Amino acid sequence: MKGNVVKYARDNIDTDVIIPGQYLKVHDYAELATHAMEGLDPDFHSKIKEGDFILSGKNFGCGSSREHAPIALSHSGVKAILALSFARIFYRNSVDGAFLLPIEIDQDAYDGISEGDEINIDISTNEIKNLTKNQTYKMKPFSEIIGKIIAAGGLFKYKPDQD
Amino acid sequence: MGKTLFEKIWESHIVVEKQNEPALIYIDRHLVHEVTSPQAFDGLRMNDREVRRPDLTIATMDHNVPTSDRSLPILDQTSAVQIKTLENNCKDFGIKLFDINSPNQGIVHVIGPQLGITLPGTTIVCGDSHTSTHGAFGALALGIGTSEVEHVLASQTLWLEKPKTFEVRVEGKRKNPHAVTAKDIILSIIKNIGTAGGTGTVIEYRGEGITDLSMEQRMTICNMSIEGGARAGLIAPDQKTFDYLRNREYTPQNYDSLVDNWKVNLQTDSDATFDKTFVLDINDIAPQVSWGTNPGMTCDVNESIPSPDEFSNGDANQKKGAEKALEYMALESGTLIEDIEIDRVFIGSCTNARLEDLIEASKVIQGQKVASNVSAMVVPGSQMVKKQAEEMGLHKIFIDANFEWREAGCSMCLGMNPDILSPGERCASTSNRNFEGRQGNGGRTHLVSPVMAAAAAINGHFVDVRKLDLN
Repeated sequence: MKGNVVKYARDNIDTDVIIPGQYLKVHDYAELATHAMEGLDPDFHSKIKEGDFILSGKNFGCGSSREHAPIALSHSGVKAILALSFARIFYRNSVDGAFLLPIEIDQDAYDGISEGDEINIDISTNEIKNLTKNQTYKMKPFSEIIGKIIAAGGLFKYKPDQD
Repeated sequence: MGKTLFEKIWESHIVVEKQNEPALIYIDRHLVHEVTSPQAFDGLRMNDREVRRPDLTIATMDHNVPTSDRSLPILDQTSAVQIKTLENNCKDFGIKLFDINSPNQGIVHVIGPQLGITLPGTTIVCGDSHTSTHGAFGALALGIGTSEVEHVLASQTLWLEKPKTFEVRVEGKRKNPHAVTAKDIILSIIKNIGTAGGTGTVIEYRGEGITDLSMEQRMTICNMSIEGGARAGLIAPDQKTFDYLRNREYTPQNYDSLVDNWKVNLQTDSDATFDKTFVLDINDIAPQVSWGTNPGMTCDVNESIPSPDEFSNGDANQKKGAEKALEYMALESGTLIEDIEIDRVFIGSCTNARLEDLIEASKVIQGQKVASNVSAMVVPGSQMVKKQAEEMGLHKIFIDANFEWREAGCSMCLGMNPDILSPGERCASTSNRNFEGRQGNGGRTHLVSPVMAAAAAINGHFVDVRKLDLN
């Protein structure tokens, strides 16, 4: 997965700024996406291109259980979020519906990757390559269940291993 | 080795669990509301699936229902569609619905306990992060997303990674329990552990400071577990729990034998260990007021707003977060909390809109008027809370003081219905989240207890309710 990074160098980006409550009545995902990150960054849609990534700090996606949050980001073109940590429900929502990949990074990656950098994420080797700066970082591997749900393509396609 | 309460509930609900694999967990109760369910029902239809246990599934409408006159049609067409969709889905799939005209309608986390649907030792899920509220009864209650809602509708189970255990021990006694409330205890906990302090854990709240609380106060504590990042919050059931749930509309027939069983099986063993522990001494805690844009940005009512340096302890992102929060909130470091003037007051939400909350708030305002520059509203957590409050005459106290007295719903907690702040308005709110734009685009939220909100309404600014006679 190759794309460019839009960086929000802050912690606690919550689901209310990802997609405000007033839009939870919107069922058309394309329309929902037009309101993604509306409160936080009015220029979000001019920065994000299909296949890009968001980089942020700790506790990304805290707050509401609204699956609209990963849906709105996904339909804006975001393929993965790289963050120092994630709130649990957002994390699970992201992979359950196969909307985007939540990737936990370490401080080196967080500090090393800048806005606009082109990176390549390889979840088979758990490596993130910064093509702009020619650096490589480790990502935290997915746990077994999350890896299997991602490999299956979502919660409803996941089947447990047979004995 | 002994087991924690969480481990006991978890183990008794495992359908499948293998070494190094997630567990398939059985769900005893599934609560459904209009916002996070439509796509789940669509998914069932697309795949030709039924609801596996409609008898264990209960729905209500709370997030975007109007709280004004219910005899009028709903003006917001997208809300009307979402409400109608839930009605149709419940009809099609045979699910019990407490609709907008039901005397049992209300915020899903208020009606579950008051109807006796929430029971100790059970697993409860809902497509809402504040499902943690039900943990006050010793239930393992998890907020889930819409894909998981569909999974539970279809199978009555969930694939879950086993959370870690987190003991939060609350010790001591509050000197003035009418002024320093459960809300102040949980805000103090979050201020200390941080908004991600509980990530990946189930918190069990223990100690004298917790067992002293009423059931409604315990719900306020467990409700905000998610604000500390936890998957769920738990309090072991005791006699208060058993008494609260007796003789409710859905209390099971064999209640006494269930209680006997709960008394034996729903306690953390004395030799059990937790993955981590935090201890809060509440002997000297003060009423809390949030000054920033997450629930960890809180200080004592008699303090002044900290500087970003003081708040961040050297963490660059925390400092930046505090700077941005102060800018959004239009506040400056060093300002005394009591000098902050407010425009709006909201007493409501699944955190603080139960009967006790309204009783306590009414004591503050009895015989007084809301400050002339403030508009204030009370939104009871359920139609049943509203009815009980009216039977006690509380509505008269609020209305005489110039509060609006509304119908039940989530209302201004999350700004999905017409109850929202205008840009720049500052609100003393008994809700759970002070995120940017949460109560309306550009709105500024200060999280407080019901008594603190009521006192702010009367005075037009925050006041230390410990100075008031609240007995």
